[in-house]
Amino acid sequence: MAKLSAHVKQLAAADRWTYRASRQSATEPAAWAALALTAHGHVEAALRPARWLADLQQDSGAVGITANDLAPCWPTSLSLWCWAALDRAQGSSEFQQNIRAAAEWSLADRGKSAPQSSHIGHNTELVGWSWAADTHSWLEPTCMFVLGLRAAGHDAHPRVREGVQLIVDRLLPDGGANYGNTIVLGQPLVPHVQPTGLAMLALGGEPSSDSRISRSLDYLRTSIDPELASPSLAFAGLGLAAMGRRNAQSDQIIHDALDAPHAAEPLSTFEQALLLLALAPNAAMDGASAEPLGETL
Amino acid sequence: MSEPVQHVESKGLSRRALLAAGGASAIGLGAISAIAAARRRERVFIARSQRYDGDLARTICDGLLACGLAAPQFRGKRVLLKPNLVEPTRKIPHMTTHPAVIIAAADVFRGFGASVTVGEAPGHVRDTQMALHESGVGEALRDSDLAFADLNYQEVGWRENAGRFSKLPGLFLPQSVLEADLVVSMPKLKTHHWVGVTASMKNLYGVLPGIKYGWPKNVLHHNGIPETVADIACTVPRTLAIVDGIDCMEGDGPILGSRKSLGLILVGANLAAVDATVARIMGLEPTRVSYLKLAAKRLGPLNERLIEQRGERWQDVADPFQILDLEHLQQLRADRSGWLFS
Repeated sequence: MAKLSAHVKQLAAADRWTYRASRQSATEPAAWAALALTAHGHVEAALRPARWLADLQQDSGAVGITANDLAPCWPTSLSLWCWAALDRAQGSSEFQQNIRAAAEWSLADRGKSAPQSSHIGHNTELVGWSWAADTHSWLEPTCMFVLGLRAAGHDAHPRVREGVQLIVDRLLPDGGANYGNTIVLGQPLVPHVQPTGLAMLALGGEPSSDSRISRSLDYLRTSIDPELASPSLAFAGLGLAAMGRRNAQSDQIIHDALDAPHAAEPLSTFEQALLLLALAPNAAMDGASAEPLGETL
Repeated sequence: MSEPVQHVESKGLSRRALLAAGGASAIGLGAISAIAAARRRERVFIARSQRYDGDLARTICDGLLACGLAAPQFRGKRVLLKPNLVEPTRKIPHMTTHPAVIIAAADVFRGFGASVTVGEAPGHVRDTQMALHESGVGEALRDSDLAFADLNYQEVGWRENAGRFSKLPGLFLPQSVLEADLVVSMPKLKTHHWVGVTASMKNLYGVLPGIKYGWPKNVLHHNGIPETVADIACTVPRTLAIVDGIDCMEGDGPILGSRKSLGLILVGANLAAVDATVARIMGLEPTRVSYLKLAAKRLGPLNERLIEQRGERWQDVADPFQILDLEHLQQLRADRSGWLFS
């Protein structure tokens, strides 16, 4: 536990929130850092990245990917989530206006649908969220927007409900998920851990009994391995936790990855935040039962 | 100078460009029209009987020399090797560029006095560390003390779209691409279930950052795959191709196809000419491949009379690939009689 505490302190002290490849802060790592710090009870420290995100929020309510890159705006989803989590943790309404604007933007933003095609296995007519404007709905952004809007109390909104439907629809027949295609030209595609973990995180608390969900959880459970890269490992942990399948063995592997004695490079704040979030007492941070935060939309 | 002239001279690692003073910039070397570029003779080197445990560095070095590219032209230059790591999984090793080819190329360019980085923006997976692990490339880079640039998450710069085949006004390129003196496209030779073939031009989709274009890079798809393939090839400055054609993919490429062993390495300074040769080896007619058709207008020759074959002749190594029984793919076949197809 002492080591975990040291990692939390290190994340709390970070002056930038970056991916491994970048030197400048990016909004996604900042949002995950705020979420991880909040989940570990370091609310004061979480306010710094959360306020940085608030500063970057555009008049439209959207949040771009860095201070310099105003688009695409998929990190609006995670910003919304971290602001809602922080306001709830503080019992405050500091981010109320940010939440309202971000939720409004998110609910108006739509991935492109397309007529059904015999070449494509998923339901192309369902509307979720896309990575970039005017493109198709994909699994991962839809998961992030479902999580953000749910945390802000919009779980019952028809857009969120359709998003959940889309996530289930994009699970592979034998379980697991990839970027969001299922069957192309008659062949089922290959699952990957990170999108599967994110999908399970987004589906946490949902009543669906679709057998692909239990198969996806089996896939995650068997994929957790010390060799797994940190982001995938963290998402696997988060997905299992959200579905009540967290266990001591996977937690230990995540702990070990956080200490990463074998790693050639130190963890980025992005990786550190994800691993810490996966080890938080309430790793899934389920906001499904929350009342809407911010003004009624 | 018209835009097409700038484009022709600023892209591709022509021998003339490398022979220019310092090789740092090819812009302004002369007024060669786009039409002339498509009619200019280009060299493509083919080596057969290659193995991943063979002396691939020697083969690549021979290929560069055969294409008129020699050590002094690379000394002090920043070389970015761009393999294909689109969606690595240990279950399908023939989907991604083999680590041995990457390391061999790195050894050659380092031996020439260049500084070498390997960079990729995997198109279907956000966890790049996972992609490096599953492909075996991460371990190979560590063993060879080679730096990796994660092109999905680097800082980006905007460049005007030099191709203008699509409506995209410009492209966001990662820092490592913008700073490189030379980008070496190192594709795996594969079929592609939408556009027929993926080689050195299509592989350059992987220099565009996912953080801007998504996973998959759906912005490009919505603007037309052939058009954006040609746009990227026009816009990325100074390129070269080294193709992993040893264990290839046929059938339902670029992800789920079957392994097909050809044992080939191809090298060339003109991506269009290299990819046209690849298509011929696979039994496809390059002028029917949509993005090559566009490339023929601007990037380089498809006509085999304008492609100087070095090493092996393509006719001697040609081995038709199985392609899916779909009309948009079958129409690419050079000879529609007598082949197997899945």
